[in-house]
Amino acid sequence: MHPPTPSSGALRRLGTQRWTTAAKTSRQCAAIHMTTRATVPSTKQTLPSHAVRAAVAAPSSPTLPTVTQTAQRRTFHSTDHPPPPGPFGATESALLAAAYQHVPEHGFSSAALAFGARDAGFPDISTSVLPDGEFGLIRWHLELRKAELAGRAEEMFVGEGKGKEYKIPEKIEMLIWERLTGNKEVIGQWQQALAIMASPTNVPVSIKHLAELADEIVYLSGDKAVDPSWYSSRAGVSAIYASTELFMTSDKSEGFTDTRQFLRRRMEEARGVKGALGNVGQWVGFSAMGALNVARSWGVRV
Amino acid sequence: MASRPGLRSIAAASTSASRTFAPRFVPPTSRSFASTHPASRPTTTTNDTSDRPTSFGFETVTESEKRERVAGVFSSVADSYDRMNDMMSLGVHRLWKDHYVSSLNPGYTPPGQAARPQHILDIAGGTGDIAFRHLHTAHVLNRNPDVRVTISDINPDMLEVGKKRSSILPASQQAALSFLQANAEDLTGKVADNSMDLYTVAFGIRNFSNMPAALQEAHRVLKPGGVFACLEFSKVGNALLDSVYKRWSFGAIPMIGHLVAGDRDSYQYLVESIENFPSQEDFRQLILDAGFGVAGQGYEDLTGGIAAIHRGIKPLA
Ligand SMILES: C[S@@+](CC[C@H](N)C(=O)[O-])C[C@H]1O[C@@H](n2cnc3c(N)ncnc32)[C@H](O)[C@@H]1O
Repeated sequence: MHPPTPSSGALRRLGTQRWTTAAKTSRQCAAIHMTTRATVPSTKQTLPSHAVRAAVAAPSSPTLPTVTQTAQRRTFHSTDHPPPPGPFGATESALLAAAYQHVPEHGFSSAALAFGARDAGFPDISTSVLPDGEFGLIRWHLELRKAELAGRAEEMFVGEGKGKEYKIPEKIEMLIWERLTGNKEVIGQWQQALAIMASPTNVPVSIKHLAELADEIVYLSGDKAVDPSWYSSRAGVSAIYASTELFMTSDKSEGFTDTRQFLRRRMEEARGVKGALGNVGQWVGFSAMGALNVARSWGVRV
Repeated sequence: MASRPGLRSIAAASTSASRTFAPRFVPPTSRSFASTHPASRPTTTTNDTSDRPTSFGFETVTESEKRERVAGVFSSVADSYDRMNDMMSLGVHRLWKDHYVSSLNPGYTPPGQAARPQHILDIAGGTGDIAFRHLHTAHVLNRNPDVRVTISDINPDMLEVGKKRSSILPASQQAALSFLQANAEDLTGKVADNSMDLYTVAFGIRNFSNMPAALQEAHRVLKPGGVFACLEFSKVGNALLDSVYKRWSFGAIPMIGHLVAGDRDSYQYLVESIENFPSQEDFRQLILDAGFGVAGQGYEDLTGGIAAIHRGIKPLA
């Protein structure tokens, strides 16, 4: 396996890897050596362009997706919650996957980690092996939700080319919304998570995660080269995503409809569709301010 | 040290005589404790690598010779050991130890749940520094009185220091302490398989003649899911800090060691053993080779890598 490097073929494959039967139970996970990332071949589905790009980037890759099938929408409490791809070893995955089930109640905390360890049959001391404690649990969430996007993208854009066309900004908006719905179960804990992410030692990793998510969204929306606008740039997607996410943490509306509208307005502003903010100068002002606050929420000291 | 005229004169005699350790190695007859080791160490036929070459500071000696010499070093510095640690760590080893133990968080229990017993094995724990911190964190901070610590060391003098110091602990903590004289490379018959929650070794492992054997023993005695943790001087990443630190450690410390303990050679050994210890990456590999899993990069640098904490976990069966 490769470390996720943005826009490399490796990232593309990591980003689309679907975990199915691999390491279903924590015990099985633990049996695998921790640094051996599970390489169980998984069934995955990809956008055609995806496969093409991956093939170009890594022609001999053994992990290239070959089987296409309908992705299952995973529910939060599914018992065989799949470990997301990324930098997690088997035992680490077992501990984090079990702990993640306790996040809605206990937050991204040592308590959640400790409950998870007991569930998975580990002694209480075992969570001390995790190098960054609760932040590791946050990274788990980020990797897991990012990894789900590719499969969801295929479902969402399935009609494409068969009579239905989406514009790139539409797809970006759909993808951002899709990713935000991945925060629903933990939204009550997310402000606390943002605070942890903003602590000085965590900032570089937090920013890297945001950048990787933006890359993934831009990538899944289609080829960036044909749409060089701000909203389809990494900076643009990062800013819009992070500000909407922040809004969502205090959104009490049913089904997060206010957040949905907030996102729509941000996209419209970015595209200059309506109103005063369509004015380029003001937009730049807004986006600079927005990006600033957003950067702060993800921990940048500005 | 100062209170042992016999030792002192031997040490003083050897300081003039270059950096060979043999003269200062105390003959067993002069101390009843030392006579139990290494002479009476059970020689295992399968595992006996006593004749294999290993490093002693910058010299190469056989493994059994190293064991004897290390025993000599620590017998001669046991009492002034803390001062040495202060110098080698630029005064921050207590902070490292605090951080080390609080990061292991012994005795922690999920809120509202019943506390479970834990057994901690503090290897090379001589002076008790690490063990006492574990007891405090577990019993006082985490309110889990069911955490026991066994302090183990090859050197009876070091264990004596630990015992003496433990007398100031609250009675309940003293009751949770036990002492075990043993060579970390072979704990058979002394520590049962799958019996420990946490194996900790602080500033000890670089003195072992056969580190892989010690790591295998750690793996054997830990429960599945149990944690191996090691705090040790390590490799400084930053070149500038490294050169300054080397200058300090090689230049000043043996001098100071001579002044405070009248024992230049022992300190020279300590400095060289630190220099010889594997890099963070190499040590991590040794941990993996012993069958442990690691999470993330597997170690954490302290003060730019002057020391590092390594952690491993024994996978569930
Ligand atoms: C530098 S002291 C560490 C004391 C304590 N852990 C601390 O951090 O303050 C190193 C200890 O390792 C012990 N030691 C050396 N070789 C050993 C071995 N093979 N098995 C067990 N202990 C050993 C020495 O006797 C000495 O007490």
